[in-house]
Amino acid sequence: MLFIDLLQSIADGLLFGATYSLIGIGFTLVFGVMHKINMAYAAASVAGAYAGLTLLKLAGLPPLLVIIMACLAGAVFGLLTYVLCFWLIPLSHPLATLMSTVGMLLLIDEIVVHLTAGMPVNYPTVMGGMVSLGSFLLRGDLMFIFTIAVLAMAALMYLIYRTRLGLATRAVSQQPVAAQLCGMRLGQVNALTFTISGALGGIAGSLIGSAVGLLSPLLIAPLTVKGLIVTVIGGLGSIPGAIIAGLLVGAAENVFQFVRGVTERDIYVMLLLFVFLVFRPGGILGADPGRN
Amino acid sequence: MDFYLGLLQIIGVHTLLGLSAYVVLLTGQVSLAQAGFMAIGAYVSAMLTVLAKWALVPALLTGGAAAAAVACLVGFPALRVRGLMLVVATLAFGEAVRLFFFNFDYQIAMGGIKVGPLGGEGFRQIRYFPENGWTTFQVMVFIWLTVGVVMTALWWMDRSRVGAVLRAVGEDEVAAQSAGLNLTAVKVSAMTLGGFIAGVAGGLYAHYTTHIEQGNFNVLVATFAIAYPILGGLSNVFGTLAAVVFIQGFLIEGLRFLGDWRNLLFGALIVLAMNVRPGGLLDAQTMSKGLSALRRLLDPAYGSAAARQAIDGLKDAGAMFRRLIAKWKGAFGA
Repeated sequence: MLFIDLLQSIADGLLFGATYSLIGIGFTLVFGVMHKINMAYAAASVAGAYAGLTLLKLAGLPPLLVIIMACLAGAVFGLLTYVLCFWLIPLSHPLATLMSTVGMLLLIDEIVVHLTAGMPVNYPTVMGGMVSLGSFLLRGDLMFIFTIAVLAMAALMYLIYRTRLGLATRAVSQQPVAAQLCGMRLGQVNALTFTISGALGGIAGSLIGSAVGLLSPLLIAPLTVKGLIVTVIGGLGSIPGAIIAGLLVGAAENVFQFVRGVTERDIYVMLLLFVFLVFRPGGILGADPGRN
Repeated sequence: MDFYLGLLQIIGVHTLLGLSAYVVLLTGQVSLAQAGFMAIGAYVSAMLTVLAKWALVPALLTGGAAAAAVACLVGFPALRVRGLMLVVATLAFGEAVRLFFFNFDYQIAMGGIKVGPLGGEGFRQIRYFPENGWTTFQVMVFIWLTVGVVMTALWWMDRSRVGAVLRAVGEDEVAAQSAGLNLTAVKVSAMTLGGFIAGVAGGLYAHYTTHIEQGNFNVLVATFAIAYPILGGLSNVFGTLAAVVFIQGFLIEGLRFLGDWRNLLFGALIVLAMNVRPGGLLDAQTMSKGLSALRRLLDPAYGSAAARQAIDGLKDAGAMFRRLIAKWKGAFGA
């Protein structure tokens, strides 16, 4: 029975880990093109999920569309983060953008707390029920989350590897100066990357909301930490790495929870990061270790 | 009065915390683990004074040393990676320390009640100051004496060869390495020193609040620790102090009359400050400008004209202000 329970928790973790993958991709995309960390990303994602819910209620649409609404709102928040925290600050001050995004994180967090009076908000569960496979039970909502996350990742991959915009993004991430010489507008590509990552964040936020059943500002801090861990374990700037690492962290988290309980779970996730830092500092699919 | 003494205590402890991040930032490393080191110092020194009945100063120093030892241990794996990876590694470490104390129970029965850290409930009854009859004023003076010692030591270090070495690594690692500096040794030393200062800050914090829990050392505190030196600028230790006074004194206490909106303004002001002054509030340029202006004012040959002008300007402003008040009083019929 123990073995089955263990497998069950791995399966649940893998399914939920898809949302970590999405958050990790968001961090890694921005890091790829700008070589900067956007600390406000997870906060903007959660805010996108909130705004999506509000839009849904205002327009009176069916609950399924909450994901699309959150995606749109997340894109707006992503662009806003770029304009407020990166646009005017010269690239020669790496600490300044780190600090401005931290300020943005606090600002978004406080706006959410302010508007919801600090109370958790119920989030529509898009799909319930269980699917039983022999002695396994797969949660319907988790399966749904996983499917949507995979679809979003596929769309992103198409965008990055099959369109002109993706070509520009990849060019800028490889060699900003050369890309600029070839006639690409750095500012435009950066702004678009932020918008895309924000849209992914909105999707991730709404998926997490519907899996947990509610949204709370308390989600922001752990999500920021987990997203950054996923980004580093996957290798900074690597999208496939972030996907694998997200699933890995999701599964590992659930196994640790199963073995050691919920209060100690996150300690072991952090230790997992240190194991990677010691033995594979470049991450699973990182380019070169220690690149700044 | 006690309110202002309390505020001074908070500013003192946060200055130490900011200085601990300042040392690490000098080498170009952004460490979000300072809150974790602070937690280690707080728990260790509080356990020493409460459970082992040590005197305060040795307990503080031991707490600092424990935090320094952990910082040194963390330094080695974490400093294999640079820049943004280090941010994440130290962030994760700080959270791991916090979660460790969330699960940490060590209670001893003393005089009928159990004392000691108890997981999520935290560590109550750190009553060294009340038991030994210290007044709030004395505690405040003690904290600021510590701040003074640390600031003087760092100021002196900054102007010595050690400071030059730290800054060299921070400015350009490759150049520093080719000048024969051992990068790992420099970075790990800076991390250790930062850990020690943060540990002492934690010890002071634990003793003046008398109750600590893991939530006191969360990511927000770690962010504050690096926010002070970055906002203040890395040109010298006074930038950090200025930023602490600005954030704790003005943004947090001074804007309390705004109620809920204060917290909103807080994040917005940080974003704004970084947009307007990406090099920090007191960056090297501003410091040198300010110093030369001061020198000019003090220089009798050059300064007298400028000073006279400035004083005349002040007088004009004063007269205008007085006229304005007179008008205002007239309007209200006073």
